Amino acid sequence: MKMISLSAIAISTFLLAACWNGADDTADGAGAGEVNLYTARHYDSDLELYERFTRETGITINRVDGNADQLIARMRSEGERSPADLFITADAGALWRAEEAGVLQPVRSNLLSERVPANLREPSGNWYGFTRRARVVAYNPERVQADEVDSYEDLASPRFRDRLCVRSSDNIYNLSLVGALIEAWGAERTEEWARGIVANMARQPEGGDRDQIRAVGAEICDVAITNSYYFIRMENGEDEGDREIAGQLELAFPSLGGAGSHVNISGGGVAANAPNRENAIRLLEFFASPEVQQHFARNNNEFPASPAVSAPAPVDSYIDFEAHPMAVSAFAEHQPEAQAIMSRVGWR
Amino acid sequence: MALGGASAGSSSLEERQWRLPSLSSLQLWALVASLIAVIPLVGILVSALSGQGADIPPRDLLRYGWTSAWLALLVGVGTAVLGSVAAWLMVMYRFPGRTFFSWSLALPLAAPGFALAYAYTDLLGSAGDLRIWMRAALGFDLPFEIRSTGGAAFVLSCAFYPYVYLAMRTAFLGQSVSALEAARLLGCSQLEAFRRAALPLARPALAAGVALAVMETLADYGAVQFLAVQTLTTGVVRAWSVFGTIAGAAQLALPLLLAAAALLWVERNARTGRSHDSARVQPRPLPVSTLRGFRAAAATFFCAGLLTTALLLPFAWLIHNALDHEPDIRRLIDAAGHSLTMGIGGAVVTTALALLLALGATRAPKLARIASLGYATPGAAIAIGLLMPAAAVWQIVPMASTFWVGIGLLVYAYAARLMAAALEPIDAGLARVTPSMVWASRTLGRTEAGAAWFVQVPVARGALLTAALIVFVDILKELPATLILRPFDFDTLAVIANNYALDERLGQAGWPSVLIIVLALPPTIWLSRKIAVSRPGS
Repeated sequence: MKMISLSAIAISTFLLAACWNGADDTADGAGAGEVNLYTARHYDSDLELYERFTRETGITINRVDGNADQLIARMRSEGERSPADLFITADAGALWRAEEAGVLQPVRSNLLSERVPANLREPSGNWYGFTRRARVVAYNPERVQADEVDSYEDLASPRFRDRLCVRSSDNIYNLSLVGALIEAWGAERTEEWARGIVANMARQPEGGDRDQIRAVGAEICDVAITNSYYFIRMENGEDEGDREIAGQLELAFPSLGGAGSHVNISGGGVAANAPNRENAIRLLEFFASPEVQQHFARNNNEFPASPAVSAPAPVDSYIDFEAHPMAVSAFAEHQPEAQAIMSRVGWR
Repeated sequence: MALGGASAGSSSLEERQWRLPSLSSLQLWALVASLIAVIPLVGILVSALSGQGADIPPRDLLRYGWTSAWLALLVGVGTAVLGSVAAWLMVMYRFPGRTFFSWSLALPLAAPGFALAYAYTDLLGSAGDLRIWMRAALGFDLPFEIRSTGGAAFVLSCAFYPYVYLAMRTAFLGQSVSALEAARLLGCSQLEAFRRAALPLARPALAAGVALAVMETLADYGAVQFLAVQTLTTGVVRAWSVFGTIAGAAQLALPLLLAAAALLWVERNARTGRSHDSARVQPRPLPVSTLRGFRAAAATFFCAGLLTTALLLPFAWLIHNALDHEPDIRRLIDAAGHSLTMGIGGAVVTTALALLLALGATRAPKLARIASLGYATPGAAIAIGLLMPAAAVWQIVPMASTFWVGIGLLVYAYAARLMAAALEPIDAGLARVTPSMVWASRTLGRTEAGAAWFVQVPVARGALLTAALIVFVDILKELPATLILRPFDFDTLAVIANNYALDERLGQAGWPSVLIIVLALPPTIWLSRKIAVSRPGS
């Protein structure tokens, strides 16, 4: 019967799938154990790091990746029996959401305190940053002078009417930037600023940061708000068109109240019910180690979290920017307010 | 959906069966199958009632709703026109390339909507290489934006028109020659015969195809977001991500569920004309006419243009971009293995459950319709719904979250989500079994289940395979459930493509996207060819 043969196919394919993955399952007891990683960072260069960690420590990494909110929801649903040991993601805002959802636990470690600057971690140890990224401005030097974009206020000035590109308001990088402005300026002034940004938009928000940079290259707009590493990646990447465009543009690091550019992190925290808590801390310490911070910088063009870690090429040419000392935990919690403000002023 | 077909000729025997107070084993299984599909929907309802909504201004919500409705309408019309015209050309005319197009026009079914969106935004985006070059070298620009509601309607119509094409081709192939002849005798031109006789007779197929296309549109997760079109799905994601309220996200999914229910109701009503294709009509070959000159060229041009726009051009562009990047072959092979095994396993389980539902629910078609709602639930929301049963499993099963629990949940999720896609063809197949055939076997001593297994299932065998292949192709492209429920170290091709796209690395996203299309091609070709020879008597 066809149905029976179909069932046979199903069963055998499942067994095949099992062989595909089973090898890892059976090897559990052999080494120094395992650590279960829930990650919302999915860069290829991170995979190399996992292999290196396993080589150095004998600890196997089991990985599941996804978007931060779905991983948080999954950890909540798994509850006390969650196998998650370590949660890592880009953006302090996402880490704050995990903390709020109660899926993280505070940990203390001398190595972590030593390797991660105080403003790039959560005060009670719920999460730690291991890379930095700045939210800055790409501009067309033929149409814009560097001193026209040396503060975030400038971006909202009428001078840039219909000349600005920026992505949509629910993007977490924008939420964190506006959250930082709320922290620095208060809600009222921030709303005024956001209104200016909307008035300055050359087009409705569309696409990601790379699309905004390309739009400046295509002269659709003259300035674009972007994360630093997208620009550096385009400037040094494999795509010829991207290299050409980035080559014609400049990156400016606007200042917030004269104290430096808005800086965000990639980071992680130990899961609330981590079955392998010690291994999770070890993996976190590994991510925060100087060599790995350099690895992130080299491969993903982020900045090392610690100023003591020297930056490799190509990010070294930008590393001297002034970073705002605001604690990343301070702006993270302003997210819902930031979204409300941006929605009110019509930032789609 | 549409399970009333077999009950058309009710007999006194059937009446008696109907009055039996207890559920037969078949009905019990049908109930189990429908529960599987309904639980995530219950999960969404429970979540929606469990807390505060998100603080999204009503003005934005209205805009999201309006855009969703507008997009659904555009895709509905787009797929209806493209699919019907292509099907009519294939069935009624001879022109250069017809044999090739007759099966190849279904191939865009193999291409995930999100992959088409990657390709077209990169190719036609206002800051893409092509348009930068056009502005500089030619001094003019294309008069449209691909990242717009119109652009999204274009991309999704390309992705989903095969649903209409396949359904309409089957319907046209099975149509009665007498109706067409009558129309011609009454003075209709060929075109009028199409409009006034063939199209109305094929209405159920049109409704079924368009309903699938529109439900896929409402459920779309990747493409619309990538095309910067803010629909109700944007609201769902915003409520969940920014405002941290899963309840608010679930509440925003409710209008989409209502829309899906309305669609199913419309589709169901359109099917009341089903008894047109009577089994007693002696099949005769269709009056196929040969096109010449300009008309032949136009027909070929239409088909070639459609195939190029919906598949060849974006596929070529993805490959072109991917060639710049060294593929991580080991990882891709691993992921392809996972996609393939989950596709096959999920297809068998989903088809089996859909079969049970179709067999057992002939007298309770509402059950089947509710089970189909999962298909139109937006990806972000179905993830919320699936977490409820998953949470129960994670809490109860002692070895929670090991590999097999993850795989089991994933297969479950596919079944819940894609039941409608399998029910549709199975139901059509079972409709070919007349009640008298079933009762003949019952009189000969078979039980109800025995009659189902030995009479209904063999007749619907082709339909089962069709259902399994459709589900298989759908699973290759599936994202939201796979993202949230899969076990450790278990990436599928769709997951890898999505990860690269999120990271704005479209070149690298090309390889897994192309592989999905390659894996989905053989079953799609097979499906399409099978329909070509499906005319009774041919």
